[in-house]
Amino acid sequence: MNITIGQYYPTNSVIHNLDARIKIMGTFLYITACFIAKGVLGYLLCAAFLAMVVRLSAVPVKMLLGGLKPIIVIIIFTVALNILFTGGKDMLWQYGVIRISVQGILMAVKMAVRLILLVMGSSVLTLSTTPIQLTVGMEYLLKPYKRFGLPAHEIAMMTSIALRFIPTLVEELDKIRKAQMARGADFDTGGLIQRAQSLIPLLVPLFVSAFRRADELAMAMEARCYRGDINRTRMNELVMEKNDYTALASVLVFLFAVLILRLVWGL
Amino acid sequence: MDFVKSEHLVYDYKTYNENSEIVTNRAINGLDIAIPKGQFIAVLGHNGSGKSTFAKQINALLLPSDGKMTVNGLDTADEKNTWSIRQSAGMVFQNPDNQIIATIIEEEIAFGPENLGIPSAEIKTRVEDALLSVNMSKYRNSSPMMLSGGQKQRIAIAGVLAMRPDCIVLDEPTAMLDPIGRRQVINTLLQLNKQGITIVLITHYMEEACLADRVAVFDKGSLVMDGTPAEIFRQVERVKQLHLDVPQVTELASKLIKRGVSLPNDILTIDDMAAALLEKGFKKDVSFPRDEREYKIPQTLIEVKNLTHIYGKETVYESVALKNVSLKIGKGELIGLIGHTGSGKSTLIQHLNALSKPDEGCVMLDGFDINSDKSRLKEVRRRVGLVFQYPEHQLFETTVFKDVAFGPENLGLSAEEIQTRVKDALASVGMGEEYYEKSPFELSGGQKRRVAIAGVLAMHPEVLVLDEPTAGLDPYSRDEILANIKRMHKELDMTVILVSHSMEDISRIADRILVMNKGCVEFFDTPQKVFGHIKRLTEIGLNAPQISLLMDRLNDEGTALPRSIFDVDTACEVLYNALAGVSA
Repeated sequence: MNITIGQYYPTNSVIHNLDARIKIMGTFLYITACFIAKGVLGYLLCAAFLAMVVRLSAVPVKMLLGGLKPIIVIIIFTVALNILFTGGKDMLWQYGVIRISVQGILMAVKMAVRLILLVMGSSVLTLSTTPIQLTVGMEYLLKPYKRFGLPAHEIAMMTSIALRFIPTLVEELDKIRKAQMARGADFDTGGLIQRAQSLIPLLVPLFVSAFRRADELAMAMEARCYRGDINRTRMNELVMEKNDYTALASVLVFLFAVLILRLVWGL
Repeated sequence: MDFVKSEHLVYDYKTYNENSEIVTNRAINGLDIAIPKGQFIAVLGHNGSGKSTFAKQINALLLPSDGKMTVNGLDTADEKNTWSIRQSAGMVFQNPDNQIIATIIEEEIAFGPENLGIPSAEIKTRVEDALLSVNMSKYRNSSPMMLSGGQKQRIAIAGVLAMRPDCIVLDEPTAMLDPIGRRQVINTLLQLNKQGITIVLITHYMEEACLADRVAVFDKGSLVMDGTPAEIFRQVERVKQLHLDVPQVTELASKLIKRGVSLPNDILTIDDMAAALLEKGFKKDVSFPRDEREYKIPQTLIEVKNLTHIYGKETVYESVALKNVSLKIGKGELIGLIGHTGSGKSTLIQHLNALSKPDEGCVMLDGFDINSDKSRLKEVRRRVGLVFQYPEHQLFETTVFKDVAFGPENLGLSAEEIQTRVKDALASVGMGEEYYEKSPFELSGGQKRRVAIAGVLAMHPEVLVLDEPTAGLDPYSRDEILANIKRMHKELDMTVILVSHSMEDISRIADRILVMNKGCVEFFDTPQKVFGHIKRLTEIGLNAPQISLLMDRLNDEGTALPRSIFDVDTACEVLYNALAGVSA
């Protein structure tokens, strides 16, 4: 069985090869920029930057647009809310609480564009970085907060183990489902309560198995001298290279440009 | 120098009962054993004999309750030594999936050295070396999910090797593997042992134990037998009393010796046995009564017609699991289904009760196409009961009784009917009333499996399909399950299809053997006829019974012995009559 986790698009682009830390930080800076941008020019700049990154990442635009699907409802909802309830100077139509104005419509368009830019931007991150790279990047970035009691290493280890076991457990679930079907279980018919009840023969064995696996894995890790973050090294240390610095600089320049637009011209 | 040394070692497992009182369960009871550096020792014993607990003591995963345990000269009870001991005595566990931590092979192997704080450049060389040692270099950047069981276990071994250990302890590393995977793992171990690494191998497979320098047999937490493989296995009766197997040729030799044939008493392999027998020579003019009985296939119950199944159709992962398979199974037959991993046997049995749908062709049950009418699916699944691999993993109810009742309840039967069925089913698998109200999770491995089988039996199937019902069990539980299956087949007049990796298991009870290879039927005939093709069976990666291989070898050497013999008793009879210088 082949299960893809996340939505990593395997190819060998400049963006793919960047340090995960840079990509995570870059995404955050980009998101900040999207929130700072206020006028058409600001949004255009954000869109242009995104277009450039997408181009460099060699990720098909179709896949990026596919990432928007789950949030279409949210976009429509936000747009509707803004159009219907944002009052403004130039009122077009009014009935009770519903007030449609030019400003409202503009606001709605802005919100939609901002949402789309945000989601597409973060999609580039997940499309060009494997879940494991993301975890490692997060661990490095969170390291400085360890002294405030943030268990950066433990969080990263848990995440990567979870990622490792998702396909195993999905396979297991499929096996259990078939086995219970062979005993006459029916998962497809009946009312809501009946269906919920029919999940018990699936979930109990799945949890039992997950606990058994967890127990065995813990023992296997201990046997291989795992003791958390104490005196631990890494085979693949993250090292910043020239491209990484260039990328970081570009994002900073971009953020700065958006900021100037906003502060100086209010766009 | 003794690498591992235990003195009066005692270990108690402590658990709490319902009244939160501590219950102690003595797993190791005054064990004295010393394992010299560089030795390859096989540890045998039935489930619960304390061998796994002993393995964990070597790795300091468990510490002695009493007595003393030293590894590499270090006392395991001293906390300061823990990490040094775990580095020098690495451990490989039974389930390959549950000991792999990373999603990329090289990271998996690097895990141990990373924990030891080795510098990153050094880790890279170690990973490379370790991969080379287990012959898996080309998988360095693959995902472990893509590997076979045998490959995963070799990765686990590499993960230990990268820590540069002196000793590797393996707790039933081959129990979940098919014969090909088992061979890969054992060959790797033999190679590592040659390089001076001490190997402690816990196993249920006697042919693996035969390859060791020394065999230690555990029973009730103590060492009861200790010696070279030949010294141990020649004591056939004693070993069997301890619920263990003896290699077929050793058993055969000991039977012949008992009847007055003079043979060396250290025969362990087919080579040894063939050489000893050929040296004695055979009579020129013996004839063997040919088994003329024709096997008559009963009236057809299941017919598979031109069945083709393709996984991941029209994707890059497309693979053909079954290719135009046609076969007929008669009412009341006991069919043994064998084939290596990926031969299509599991896919085939899932078609028999419509859990999988054919891409082409059909499956007929009593002349009715089981996929033709969706409303009759439930009926089909009742008539063809399917027991999956490791069925105990599907237990979920609070009591044994309720769990077995799940199937009959789904059939919508009356309460009384359910009661009788559950009781009958549990009786059929030898589980008495005292177990009815127990939680299925409290039972032993073999018992859980029997309860799970009862869960399918309670549906009163006409056909019972079992997918590797003996996988991962010790010889005693395995024999129990096989005996149960045979009895149920007779008493309940069921058609049984038994899937197994073990030719020896199947040959003992099957009427006919179905051999699958690469999605096609290779052979489908009586055991005598199928084992006549022993060379082809070996070629497609199946483990033939030792006796078959022996008879085949003797035939190749020019004797006129029948090739179709596969059990010890028949072989003993035939050889006794055929050997020169033995009175007939």
